[in-house]
Amino acid sequence: MPVLHHADPGNAASSAGAQTLVDALLDEQRRLTAVEAFARAHERHEIVEPHYRKLLPASAPRPGEQYAFEVDLDKCSGCQACVTACHSLNGLDDGEAWREVGALFGEALVPAVSSLFTSASAGFTSNRVVPLQQIVTTACHHCVEPGCLEGCPVLAYDKDPVTGIVRHLDDQCIGCSYCILKCPYDVPKYSATRGIVRKCDMCHGRLAVGEAPACVQACPNEAIRISVVSLAQVKATLLGVSGGAGEKMGNRESETVSASLSHPPTLSLSHLPAAWLPDSPSPSITLPTTRYVTKKPTADLRAADHSLPKPQHPHWPLILMLVLTQAGIGGLLASRVVGTKSLPLELASLSLFFAGLTASVFHLGQPLKAWRVWLGWRTSWLSREAMALNAFAGAATVAVTARWLPPLTNYYSLITSAVATAALAAVFAQAMVYADTQRAFWSLRHTAPRFFGSTLVLGLGLALAFQPTAPLAIALLLAMLLKLACELSVLKHADTDSERWTQLRRTAALQTGALRPVLGVRLLSALIGGVVFTFVIASGGASPALVFAALGFCLLGELAERYLFFTSVAPDKMPV
Amino acid sequence: MMSTKLSTQGRKDATAQSQEELCDSAPLRLGVESSSAANTLFRHWTGPLTADLVRTPGEFGLGQVPARLKPDATTTMVCGFCSTGCGLNVHLKDGQAVNLSATTDYPVNLGMACPKGWEALTPLAAPDRATTPLLRHPKTGRLEPTDWDHAMQVFTLRFKAIMDQHGPESVAFLSTGQICTEEMAFLGALWKFGMGALHCDSNTRQCMATSAVAYKQSFGFDAPPFTYADFEESDVLVFIGANPCVAHPIMWQRVLRNRRSPEIIVLDPRKTETAMAATLHLPLAPKSDLALLYGVAHLLIQNGWVDKEFLAAHTNGFADFAEFVRQFTPDAVAAQSGLTVGQIYRLAESVKPGKRVSFWWTMGVNQGHESTRTAQAVINLALLGGHIGKPGTGANSITGQCNAMGSRLFANVTSLLGGHDFANPEHRKKIATTLNIPESVIPMKPSLAYDQILDGIAAGKIKGLWVIATNPSHSWIGRGEERGRPRPQHGLADVGVRAPQAGLDTLFAQLDFLVVQDMYHTTDTTQRADLVLPAAGWGEKEGTFINSERRIGLVKKVSRAPGEALADFHIFRLVAHYWGCGAMFSEWTSPEAAFQILKRCSAGQPCDITGIEDYRHLDREGGIQWPWVEQGLGSGVSGLGNGAPPQTPYARPHPPSHRRLFADGQFFTPDRKAKFLFDLPREAADQPCEKFPFILLTGRGTSAQWHTLTRTGKSDILRQLAPSELLLELNPDDARRLRLRAGDTARVASRRGELTARVHVTATIRPGQVYLPMHDAATNRLTFPAFDPHSRQPSYKFCAVSVHRTDKEARR
Repeated sequence: MPVLHHADPGNAASSAGAQTLVDALLDEQRRLTAVEAFARAHERHEIVEPHYRKLLPASAPRPGEQYAFEVDLDKCSGCQACVTACHSLNGLDDGEAWREVGALFGEALVPAVSSLFTSASAGFTSNRVVPLQQIVTTACHHCVEPGCLEGCPVLAYDKDPVTGIVRHLDDQCIGCSYCILKCPYDVPKYSATRGIVRKCDMCHGRLAVGEAPACVQACPNEAIRISVVSLAQVKATLLGVSGGAGEKMGNRESETVSASLSHPPTLSLSHLPAAWLPDSPSPSITLPTTRYVTKKPTADLRAADHSLPKPQHPHWPLILMLVLTQAGIGGLLASRVVGTKSLPLELASLSLFFAGLTASVFHLGQPLKAWRVWLGWRTSWLSREAMALNAFAGAATVAVTARWLPPLTNYYSLITSAVATAALAAVFAQAMVYADTQRAFWSLRHTAPRFFGSTLVLGLGLALAFQPTAPLAIALLLAMLLKLACELSVLKHADTDSERWTQLRRTAALQTGALRPVLGVRLLSALIGGVVFTFVIASGGASPALVFAALGFCLLGELAERYLFFTSVAPDKMPV
Repeated sequence: MMSTKLSTQGRKDATAQSQEELCDSAPLRLGVESSSAANTLFRHWTGPLTADLVRTPGEFGLGQVPARLKPDATTTMVCGFCSTGCGLNVHLKDGQAVNLSATTDYPVNLGMACPKGWEALTPLAAPDRATTPLLRHPKTGRLEPTDWDHAMQVFTLRFKAIMDQHGPESVAFLSTGQICTEEMAFLGALWKFGMGALHCDSNTRQCMATSAVAYKQSFGFDAPPFTYADFEESDVLVFIGANPCVAHPIMWQRVLRNRRSPEIIVLDPRKTETAMAATLHLPLAPKSDLALLYGVAHLLIQNGWVDKEFLAAHTNGFADFAEFVRQFTPDAVAAQSGLTVGQIYRLAESVKPGKRVSFWWTMGVNQGHESTRTAQAVINLALLGGHIGKPGTGANSITGQCNAMGSRLFANVTSLLGGHDFANPEHRKKIATTLNIPESVIPMKPSLAYDQILDGIAAGKIKGLWVIATNPSHSWIGRGEERGRPRPQHGLADVGVRAPQAGLDTLFAQLDFLVVQDMYHTTDTTQRADLVLPAAGWGEKEGTFINSERRIGLVKKVSRAPGEALADFHIFRLVAHYWGCGAMFSEWTSPEAAFQILKRCSAGQPCDITGIEDYRHLDREGGIQWPWVEQGLGSGVSGLGNGAPPQTPYARPHPPSHRRLFADGQFFTPDRKAKFLFDLPREAADQPCEKFPFILLTGRGTSAQWHTLTRTGKSDILRQLAPSELLLELNPDDARRLRLRAGDTARVASRRGELTARVHVTATIRPGQVYLPMHDAATNRLTFPAFDPHSRQPSYKFCAVSVHRTDKEARR
């Protein structure tokens, strides 16, 4: 490469010799000049005359009231500034969002004289169908009966008695993610790097000093405001106790919706079809306080993915925890009930049970704080599950070791009763953990047969493995067939011609669609291990290899069943 | 707990009115801090995880900010994405940007920003920033780091070799509307005056060329007449091919601040977010806009709904226009546009004189095969009603990129620095004198336009290309190869419509030397470069942008560029130095020095900015709209708005924050009259047929996405706000017919290429039409390269495609 001659007296750098132009420019590039050149002498440190005054309530909530978000859907244009402003002004992690923006689509039949489309339909003389889309911004709804708070096993949520703001105590959280399942709106978000969930706190510190929350400050269209709502009215509206759907939610601020809206409203708000969004979780579960205001006919709108269920997270530690603890419980119960009292069977059962408990630890983001897991026992089924499992662990350990502790051998039946009671309580609590999330597929009707069924099937399987007998084999065969029948009953929801997709229809669609291979594994394992092999065993063909193979296939089948349990749940959700 | 004085009032008193009163009583204290207690063994209220989210008063008028990002200084600069030109308050710590918020006292955005603005700092920290020059190794074929000295020597040697062998017209550059005005001017001057090259264009050709040409022909100068206050002052706002709710959210904010209960009319084939918010949506057939606008003009004239005085005093060509539009009868236009006669009457009635009517257009108009005449059809409507120069009026082009206006006036590409004419001897002399250069170095010939440069590459005439801050490998139209098909019969012989070009990859492979100057080494185009020059980005350098309403705003240096990345301005200094023409640019020592040169160039032009002192002046005033003339320098600049009589001296210590043009009806044409310009509509090329039955529309996806995503794609949160897959909008009727359901994968094919996309079934798109966002590089494999004959802007909004289930879907 020939070196070029730079005859360039115009540039000081080249004549300076010591420093080339490249170096000079690189030096200059590294100097930050904004402050030195433009340092703005900000005398004022207070916000002068904030623009968001009218978006805040006139005063703090009084007893029986709380703060709430109010979203004017007719002003929300989908710019999503609220999401990014919240992200920046609250210093959230990369990609972390406490607010989300979704959309609903559809059509509505608009009468020629509809106020909203009066001008639009001037050229028309009859009713017509117009396409609609509605952008929806959502954050935490600071519910009257927060699911997250009720479900939290360690009291890491607090609903402020005065403001009603539902806060998350980040340093109390053990990262069990149960609140994510409990919240119908998918509000708490788990951070893998931090091992905890975090969520919207309505910028409570800002509100306390008269500043608006970040999203309220940042909405260019003034579509989000903070209002004060009456808890009784929220309840009445959302539970339909009085007033019905037409009743507006308890908002004690006067309607200032039209003050800055470009179109003169002619429909009064009392004619609103509903106080809640279409195609979203039922507000009766947790009584969300956010109020959505619109004059558009939005009742028939649907999210774009309304008919597009996606498999949910499998939660492998939970799959292992549930299946293994239920196997252990079942094995020990079988040993006691059938009366074999086989030491290998009981030790194997105990091992499986503790392996299951250990697996659950891997589900936690902050396992060292997990010792507080009982704190929420008053409302949290997760706390109760943990307590029942621990009770079982204690009783079972005593029961198994009692044979070497002579004084205890006299209390055999008492100990066994304790084990059985703890066992039933534990499995029931396990089922209630999921039933309490109010997801259709996780209702007790679906969860209890699965959980108790696993306990039974795997218990019999264990017993059979260690003491193969024909009656045991037949019992297992029948139990397995019964369980499969219960499980498959959900598939009857698959075929409907309706446009509406229920939760169970989505579950059925998932199991027969994206999750079909898993369902195949589940059925095949159950049939091989629980039906074919048990039939052979019952017919007198028991061999150690066969009985353990039967147990192995049953276990695999239950793991697959539990995988389906977690991945094919299809809760209603906010529009995305 | 409640410290507000109003807090004791009863529920009924807390009405809106008392809230108004409350606004006057500062400071508002809602006065309830959420409960919080000391940590106990069982319950931890505070700790390291809680501390991460603690907010603290930010001071500097900011309100609370994250405690760990509390600034020690703040400064306002203009955003670097779109042409709205919002002021962003950058939070600084030791001179380095740590966070930002929207500036409350900036006249453009009044404390608001869209997601891109909020996330403007994030793309600067992306891991794929180019940090050293990269040179393609001849043996390995890979881009390998080198130093600036070597890079500049290679640059000079290769370009000089090409120019020596093939002449000055054998090289070209493709630039951008995203760098600072001073940088664009430096580049254009360096290229044409210093390096002796000629051909150059910029991606503003893809976005604003039509508006520039339309204004220039109709008004005599590329002069968008409006100010954002006009959004608030209108009685009737007509949006044509514009979706500000998504593309310009902060302009929509101004619409919602309109207190005159305006009528909002949206002309768009799709029921966009803006159409949803409108009082009247007219879903016209794609590319029927020109006929519709003529039809409206016809109705206005026929019914005498025109401002006769204004027409007589301030326009030329009205009679011819009136005669011309007689053929656009309501019935004919209704048939063509798919609207009813009633709707067309309704539109005409809405824009007749008597109310403040403003027209706003953007890419739906600009990116069309007859876009210049369409933009002028909008201008004609404004002229008919005398809707110009008054508050809340105007034929207003909403610009695309942050500095498209800077490019149009000062890039030295299509017009000589400062909106001058390369062929005008007086202009040449003036600029030669101003720059202290010989007049002979100023070329007479116009440069080739973007598409012609690419044609030149295809023809082997252009051998060397320098791409600056743009990504044609993603954004250029019709990048697919036309496969074994005779040229379509319809329309191709027409002006501005040609046979599609070869794919851009093939074209770039034909170049002897491709230099790409960019912030990232990973863009589609950078990947194909022989030499990559690492550029500092917005926020890492100084300069100015000019926004849609002609406001010149400041960019400041608040972040360190990574590695050896240099400001584009510095790179141009290096090129001048290594090329050996440094002496010619001895005065171009810094962006601000260049700004002073540009001021001198603008003297006496409609875009005269000699009244702006320096960067600090711009900073103090929150940006200044052009023109702003030095005291005593009258010149031909006319009409400042806000009711100020035209004889008012222009220069005052403080320019009014909102000014519009043409208050006195004096345009920039030689006879001071605006021109009616019109042509018969032509059918778009690439019409649907049996095999390709759908019309493909393209455009913005979400407000969180910018163009080819080289920047917005680097922010986790912005990525989260956009669909993760390419979505095809499809009408439910069509979906049913094609047996496609929401979420299915569809194969979309045009005569040039194909792609697969996830189906989004929605009635907001009309039957027979489909929509794809432009942010996926695949989209432009389908588009058809038609060009407006006047502006040579590509027509991204019309081509024929087919939609099929993929084989996988078909099996289901």
